[in-house]
Amino acid sequence: MTRRGWILLGAWILLLTLGVLWVQSNLHVSADLRLFMPAPRTEQQRLLIQNIGESPASRLLVLAVEGDAPAQLAAISNRFAASLAQRAEFGLVANGGQPPPVIPERLLPYRYLITDSFDAQPLDESRLQAELAEREADMASPAAGFLEEWLPRDPTLEILHLASRWQPRAEPQHTDGAWFSADAKRALLLVETRAAAFDPDGQGKALDILREEFARARGSSPAALTVSGTGYFSSFIRDRTQQEATWIGTADTIGMILLVWFAYRRLMFTLLGALPLATGALAGLAVVSALFDSVHGITLAFGFTLIGVAQDYPMHLFSHLEAHEPPLRTAQRVWPPLATGLASTSIAYLAFLVSGVTGLAQVACLTITGLLAAGLTTRYLLPRVVPLMSYDPSKSRRLQWLNHRIEQLPRPFALFALIPLAAAAVFWLRPEGFWQNNLSKLTPVPPDMLRTDVELRHELATPDLRYLLVASGASEDAVLGTLEGMDAELTRTVKDGAIGSFEHAAQYLPSAALQRKRQAALPDAAHLRDMVNRAVAQSPFEDGLFAPFVADLDRARTLPPMTRADLGDTPLALRLGSELFERDGRWYALISLYDVHEPGTVAALASRHAGQVTFLDLKAASEELVAAQRSHILLCLEIAGVLLVLVIVVALRRVSRVLRVLAPMILTTLVILAVLRACDVSLNLFHLVSLVLAAGLGLDYALFFEHAAPEPGEQQRTLHALLVCSATTLWVFALLALSTVPILQAIGVTVSLGVISNFVLALLLTRERARRD
Amino acid sequence: MANTAFSRALEDFERQLARTPPVSTGFVEYRFSHLLKKPLRSSGTLEYGADGVLTRNVASPYREVTEVTGDQVRITRAGKPTRTFSLERAPQLRVLLGSFRALLDGHLTPLTKDFEVQLTEQAPRWTLTLKPRDARLAKQLARIAVFGAGERPQCLEALEPDGDGALTLLEGAPLEPAKLPARAEVEKACRSSGAPLVQ
Repeated sequence: MTRRGWILLGAWILLLTLGVLWVQSNLHVSADLRLFMPAPRTEQQRLLIQNIGESPASRLLVLAVEGDAPAQLAAISNRFAASLAQRAEFGLVANGGQPPPVIPERLLPYRYLITDSFDAQPLDESRLQAELAEREADMASPAAGFLEEWLPRDPTLEILHLASRWQPRAEPQHTDGAWFSADAKRALLLVETRAAAFDPDGQGKALDILREEFARARGSSPAALTVSGTGYFSSFIRDRTQQEATWIGTADTIGMILLVWFAYRRLMFTLLGALPLATGALAGLAVVSALFDSVHGITLAFGFTLIGVAQDYPMHLFSHLEAHEPPLRTAQRVWPPLATGLASTSIAYLAFLVSGVTGLAQVACLTITGLLAAGLTTRYLLPRVVPLMSYDPSKSRRLQWLNHRIEQLPRPFALFALIPLAAAAVFWLRPEGFWQNNLSKLTPVPPDMLRTDVELRHELATPDLRYLLVASGASEDAVLGTLEGMDAELTRTVKDGAIGSFEHAAQYLPSAALQRKRQAALPDAAHLRDMVNRAVAQSPFEDGLFAPFVADLDRARTLPPMTRADLGDTPLALRLGSELFERDGRWYALISLYDVHEPGTVAALASRHAGQVTFLDLKAASEELVAAQRSHILLCLEIAGVLLVLVIVVALRRVSRVLRVLAPMILTTLVILAVLRACDVSLNLFHLVSLVLAAGLGLDYALFFEHAAPEPGEQQRTLHALLVCSATTLWVFALLALSTVPILQAIGVTVSLGVISNFVLALLLTRERARRD
Repeated sequence: MANTAFSRALEDFERQLARTPPVSTGFVEYRFSHLLKKPLRSSGTLEYGADGVLTRNVASPYREVTEVTGDQVRITRAGKPTRTFSLERAPQLRVLLGSFRALLDGHLTPLTKDFEVQLTEQAPRWTLTLKPRDARLAKQLARIAVFGAGERPQCLEALEPDGDGALTLLEGAPLEPAKLPARAEVEKACRSSGAPLVQ
């Protein structure tokens, strides 16, 4: 290589390094589903896309501490809970050791505006008499000593009533002040992370803190911590995916270096071969981050998969290099098929740009830019830095022998009919389960972890993860009003056994209207004193005992209705924050459900409040959304296919050439679909994107075989190039196919099948027979 | 400990008191409180079943049944819906009810966890004094004194720090007056059924 070549290479690598730095500081990866979803068509889908369905239930982590004596476990649980409560990463922390929610002194008079005790029967003289008779009986019970303190202020026991209403859940049993499982072997804790369940980074951080604080709380005890919950699973799966991707990546790199060295016998080519793809990837990222505010993680995954085709570009140049020919001239020779492939795929991806889905537009942008950058650098930059090729594939004996054997293979044009027929037969025999809509199948959690999760959730009586009611309205107060309007019906569903219990914000923050209504129903000052005096006279209680009660009622009658601000920093405010909130100008309230036995009944309840209340079946809604997204992508792919054929027709002009070039790609797509179907694999989005990549590879293989002059030396070089291309691609994707992570496996299996099928079909159907010299 | 000459190990005493459930005894209870114009008198039976359920059955002046199963309490009053709650939410009440149970079946050793237990004897009469260890409970309960003779407890005196309290006369106790007596009279009757009370 010349001095100029070295300088150029140095400058190229320097530019790439600068590019990496620029992208690092300008790329904002987002997990916002809205980037990657078509416009929602139902209210359920809209709620899901806006992450409103992300209920507090999904952010709950259930923890179990086991492996020591109960007293030790309880002590660890209490220390653990106390230290977690100090950490900003967690909202709620509960282990049974926390006192029940306490109403602060300044809010106590509000109890007569919050309580539902007097909605049905007002606080009048007969009611007060009945209450005092009850208290008399209470005074004769063992609990008397504990009631005496509050009785003068709260003869109707409203504080107790509210506290029990705010804790609808059945609690696990206590041992030494901590929750325990029924078998008394595990201390149980419940924490709510501030990070969303599907924010693996936030969840990972929360988990680190959990482990760190647990190690501290445990001290020298042999006790062990079990964590479970949606957030834990998402972090667990990300870690496992990363682990596998790391070892696969390492094996990929080593394999690529060896393969490329074996093909060209110089290490330099391995480095040079990586440059166009690296340039393409960086250029794609740079353009996407310049054009869009944030890039979705899926955009990156799909985009990088699709620009994988560009790994082949330098191989075509290298395999065609000849000692007596300037590399730029070689680049010129291999450019027509390369440019045809590049142009047709790039134009095809334009279909994604106009899809109206930001994420897909990003994929198109990244892929088109990446492919163009890789192609153009292979054509104009790589030839200027490539060293002299000492190895000439056209002189290789082994290759000559192989080429000769291939030459003798029959040209089975019957495949044009056989493959579609066989595929049709498979589709006809196995019509069920073509598409995979269940997102959880993509990220499966090991069965024993799921079992533990079900057990712990059952013990801790956490809200249902799948079903949820969402009320919405123009203002906070309007939503609270809606919740109150549903209370009677919800109570009935509990009584009928359709659900175990429910919980919502209006239980501790009634609407202003309801508070005013309750206020108006309270007896006025004079009347109140009268009725208290008369009721007390008939009771065994001392005269004048209930002065504090009268004072509280006097306050309650004149108070402005309680608002969210009044709750200040009480634990109730924390709960309110996650159950009642504003999103994009609209107010939402979540009604958590416990033990949903009859989802249909709850759905029917919601439909009676259509427009205000939505029954959210998170599983069904996400499946519908996936299906909607897929049909959108399929439409884009169909348009892309038409565009691609058009470009090929324009470039090649003759029908026979067009057919020979398109045949491997189309037949391979059928082969892959039929094989996956025969193995009962349901297709997901990652299969779909991999099919597109396989088709792109097939097109390139066919274009190069088609372009090769029917002359043995040239055919041998083309064969060499395509052997290197398909071997390197197969190596990478076959390793992915071995992965236990379904997403990686889906990509790996599909592309591996595609590479083999495309290569064989392109050899058999596209390559011309060599001229006999 | 005073009266050491007569004191024995609690385990020894436990054997003397031990009874196999079901155990049942009638009771008359007087409650004295500064919230009340006059003391409240109630009567009924206390039962400790073989199934471990503690039942406090009030027959007069109104009907009420309280059942304690493990940590679950069920209260049924005539004409009212049954109330249930968990003693998890009322730890002090749990301790108090635990002492009832212990007295009925004679298992006293578990009481030493929650109470400072002191035994005074003047054969055949005895007095057991329980002082709560938990500071929160001590705010509401100064002590319980149990007066008895032989193998039978005959009267319970619960005293609150503010001077309020309850006296529960069990079956066989000497007093069953027709009209509401003064507190001093009931106290005298109650205490006379055991050994002298060590204050």
